[in-house]
Order: sequence, then structure tokens, then C-alpha cells
Amino acid sequence: MEKLTDEKIQKGLEVLRREVGSKLLTHVNSCVHCGLCAESCVYYNVEPNEHFVPAKKVDIVSSVYRRYYSTTGKFIPWLTGARKLDDATIEEMVDLLYGSCTMCGRCNKHCSVGVDIEYLVRTGRAMLAEMGYVPETLQKTVDAAINTGNNMGISTEDFVDTLKWLEEELQFEVEDDNAIIPLDEKGKDIMYTLNPREPKFFPLSISAMAKVFYAAGESWTLSTKMYDVTNYAYFSGNLEEGQLIAQRMVDEMKSLKANRCILAECGHGTRSFRWEAPNYLEQGFSFEVETSVELLAEYIREGRIKVDPEKNQEIVTLHDPCNLTRSGGILEEQRYILSKCVKNFVEMTPKGTDNLCCGGGGGQLSMSEYNERRMRISGLKADQIRKTEASVVATPCHNCVDQLIQTNAAYKLNVKIKTLAEIVADAIVLDNENEENIS
Amino acid sequence: MFWYQWLAIAALAICMISCIYLFFRIISLGNPPEYARRAGNIGKAVRYSFTGAMSPRQKESAYLHLPTYIAGIIYHIGTFLSIIIFFIYLFDLNIGGWACQLAVGILIASSLCGIGILIKRIMKHELRSLSNPDDYISNILVTAFQVITAVDMIYSVWPAYYIISALLLLYLPLGKLKHAVYFFAARYHLGFFYGWRGVWPPKHIRK
Repeated sequence: MEKLTDEKIQKGLEVLRREVGSKLLTHVNSCVHCGLCAESCVYYNVEPNEHFVPAKKVDIVSSVYRRYYSTTGKFIPWLTGARKLDDATIEEMVDLLYGSCTMCGRCNKHCSVGVDIEYLVRTGRAMLAEMGYVPETLQKTVDAAINTGNNMGISTEDFVDTLKWLEEELQFEVEDDNAIIPLDEKGKDIMYTLNPREPKFFPLSISAMAKVFYAAGESWTLSTKMYDVTNYAYFSGNLEEGQLIAQRMVDEMKSLKANRCILAECGHGTRSFRWEAPNYLEQGFSFEVETSVELLAEYIREGRIKVDPEKNQEIVTLHDPCNLTRSGGILEEQRYILSKCVKNFVEMTPKGTDNLCCGGGGGQLSMSEYNERRMRISGLKADQIRKTEASVVATPCHNCVDQLIQTNAAYKLNVKIKTLAEIVADAIVLDNENEENIS
Repeated sequence: MFWYQWLAIAALAICMISCIYLFFRIISLGNPPEYARRAGNIGKAVRYSFTGAMSPRQKESAYLHLPTYIAGIIYHIGTFLSIIIFFIYLFDLNIGGWACQLAVGILIASSLCGIGILIKRIMKHELRSLSNPDDYISNILVTAFQVITAVDMIYSVWPAYYIISALLLLYLPLGKLKHAVYFFAARYHLGFFYGWRGVWPPKHIRK
């Protein structure tokens, strides 16, 4: 770890000064150290020791706040456990806030007082980011997004090649040479975004969504310049980098003159662009921002696409991404889609806003330093999936897909992991198909 | 009035001024800025935050820890009752008969809960590691306040009663007991946050 200097300390404390408002003041002063939040944390459930109690994360941020900004903390620090921002504190902060938290927000909901624990974790990460203590692997992901336009570092040439190949596949599948994946077209209703994992590892999810757009007769386009829905600076805590990435998406929406920005199936992408980006940039957007989950539900509800659940016969369960459901309010849409597109749908327990994190949130997937811990906590999700006896796990989040694929392999679940777009695409009945089986 | 009563009144004034300051400071700082398009109803979400979301059925911190949760509720009832009795004494009013017996009964139960919570904090390794001196002092002062209120209702131990009350009132704004103010702000902020995003009031999963 890099040596702590006075300059760094001032930078860290500046974050608390910058953030100070009713919300920060409230949450740094509200925890009563009851410890009853412990069981709501996936880390604690797998490894029940004091290090993983969410209140510890609250305490390390609020104890620093108390030390520098409260009278009691300044003059009698021992009384309230106020801590100096020193090497030991920083080391503990890095492990607690980056290495032991997926920022799933489950503890917020279950806190006996109502402390926004995840908000304090983000504030603590922002302090660490200002001081230069972001884990190297996470910072590399942010750097890739800033330097190349997407967090996987995919070149535009490779991206366009992949899309051209997918377009040919789409035309072959729907037997229509007019089925296209439009690129950089101005004045379309929708600018669709992607998680860069899609072109890199899961291109079929792009063709699935392209098939849905084709079936719906949608006016849409992809940008080759800025298609990355993710913003890992949200996880690292670096405000300036977060602003830069968010601004690029806003600029591209304006440049392509689209009406709606449709966010790919990505929990943190949704959180960071729909909810946080306007705050980063201190401006409301002049265009609509929606998730593809809402769009898919809208297409089915309005009859713009026809689906047949008989085409998906396997037992399907659903993993609710934390940022989409617990912190984003998207709860019914994914269930509506599955109720229309699959024959056998079973819920996990717990589900919805109580669902357990898959383990890949909070930037954990990119922080290889904590891989072992991440895979240990995914055992909880493996148990949840096993109990449903499902053979397909649907989840509207590419981060979750990635983590669930690794969980599937590590815990030998023998299930398939699919996005909602893939499930909808499989269930679509095109006009040129026999309509006898339409539900 | 005796000196110890004046002491308690002075402590009450300091405590109230401090709490009012904390409260108005939070209010004056306003809502956190939210520039994203609102997806829900803030008013309903904040109401839910103070009502339905506090239901023991909604919180693992309650339903997974029922004995502690119930002890906590009784402890808080005892605290509020002790404060009410403090004001009754301050205005020189009387509590007699069955009301006095009922109050003493509740205060004995709540004091035992307070002692139980303190023992749990001392005995349980995880809680001990979370705790600082303020956690112990706060618990001891509040429990002592309840005990002395109950004792005073039977034996009239006025100097001790008013001195302990004064100590509690003077300490309240310094440590975690100020959650008496911040608790409400925390519930408000949580309601505001989830309300803006349309998470609260909760949507129900249709069968």
C-alpha cells in the first residue's frame, strides 16, 4: 500500500466536507451498534465473524467523520471510538469497503434504525479513491473505459466486425435480409446500450435483443462510439471519472438525436446511469432513460411482439439484480416477462427486494484480489438455485450472468444462465411462423 | 425547589437546545439533491418508511432476533415512560394508585431488558468488537434512569433521581443517544431514497 501523506489525508477528508449535507450527517450519526444487521450480509452469512458485520463498515466511515468533524471526536476521541485517518485505518477501510461489500444494499432495508449503509460504503470508497487507494484491478477497468470507450477495451473495428457477423446470423435466423443491426443512425427513437461483456463474451444476447427489436419493428440504433452502459467509477468511488463516463453517454444521446436511452440488462449500469449520472452531472436529462426489462415488458403488454411460452419448456427461476430491484424498483416487469415467455417459472427464496446478492456486485467481479472471498459467498446463491430445481436461471444483468456462470461451474449446479432478452427471443413468434401456437 | 431540581432543569434545557440545534441543522441542510427523473411517490414512501417498513415482518433485524427485538422495544417504552414521568415530576403532578404500580412494573421490565442488552454487548464477541465506551455509558445511563425512576416512585429518592436524570440529559447530545433525533432523519432519508426510485411503498409480486 502506498504511503499515506498529509496531502492524501486532506483529499480524503475533503470528500467528507464535499458530501456533508443532511444525508451524510444523518447516517454517520444514526448507527447504534446493535449488530442486528449482520445476517442481512452475504459475507457474514458465509463467514460469521465481526469483520463482516455491516455496522463495521458504517463505523469505519463514521468514526473518521467523528474524529475530524465532531466536537466529541476532536476532544475526547476515545469516548465514541473516533479514528484518525492513518495507515491502519486506510488498510481496514480498503478491505472492508472494497473487499467485503458488494454494495447490494440488503443491509439498508434490514437495519433496525434505517442507516443507508451502502451510501456510507460509497462515501468511504470515494474517500479512498481521492487518496489513490482504489484496488489496482478495479482502477484498470475504469481506466479501460476512459481510454478506450468501454471497460473491456474492445476496439471499434472488432466491435463493428462482431455486429456485422451477428447481423448476418440474425438475417439467417429470421429469414429476412432486411433485418439489420443499425449503427450510429441519427434520429432513431431508441439508442440501445450494451454491457461490453456482450460483444466480448456473450454476443448471443445482442442478437437476441436485435431479434426482439426486429420483431417489434422498432426504430433503434447502437452507437459504435459510446455503447458501454457500465460505469465502474461508481464502484471505485471516483467522482470525476464517473462524471466523464456519464457525460460521454449523454453526449452520444444528443449526437444521435435519439429520444430514449435503453439500458442493457445491467444492474449497476442502470443504477449508475439512470439514478446516479444525473447527480454526477447535476442535471436532469432531456431524454428518457429506461431499462430493457421495462421495454421488453412494454412490447409484450402492448402486443408489439408475440410470444409463446411453450417454446421455453424448461423450469426457469429468476435472480433479481440488487441494483435493478432493491435499489431500482424494477420488480414486476421481469416477472411479467417470464410469466408470458416460459412454461414453468419458479421463484427463489428469498426473492425480489430481499433477494441475496450473487456476489459479483460492487465491482467484485473486476477485483481479482478478492476472488476467493467472492466465490465463497456465491455458495449462498448456489443453494438458492439448487432448491428451486430449475434448469435455467434468468437474470437481467450481465454482471450477475458472469458471476452466476462461475457459480454454476464452481458449485456444479448444471444450470443454464440466460438474460431476459435471450428468453424473450426464444419465445418470439415471428409473423412468418405458424401462428397456431401463439398464446 | 431544591438545587438538584434546578440542576435537572438546567440539564434539560441544555439537552433540548442541543437536540433542537441538531434537528434544525438537519432540516436546514435540506433534501439530498436528486436530478434523476422521479419514479415514485416520496410522501407515500416516507410514510411507509415510518410504518410498514418498521414492521418486524419486514426486517431480519427483528424477525431473526425476536428476543433482542422485543427487549429493545420494551427498553424504549421504558425510556419514553421515564421521560414522561420526569416531566410529571417537573410540573409537580402526582401519579398514584394503579397508574403508579403499572409504571413501576413496566420500568422494572424495561430495566431488566436494558441490563440484558448490556450483558449481551459484553458477552458477545461481535458486539464487543463493534462497541466503544459510548455504547456502554449510554446503556448504563438510560438503564440507571429507568431504575431510579422506578425506585423513586416507591421510595422518593429525589436527590439521586434528579442527579441521574441530569447526567443522562447532559450526556444525550454527546454520544449515540442522539439517535433520538437522527433516527427520524434516517427513516426520512431512507424513505426519500427508495421513494424517488419507486422501490417504496413496496410493489407486490403477483402470484
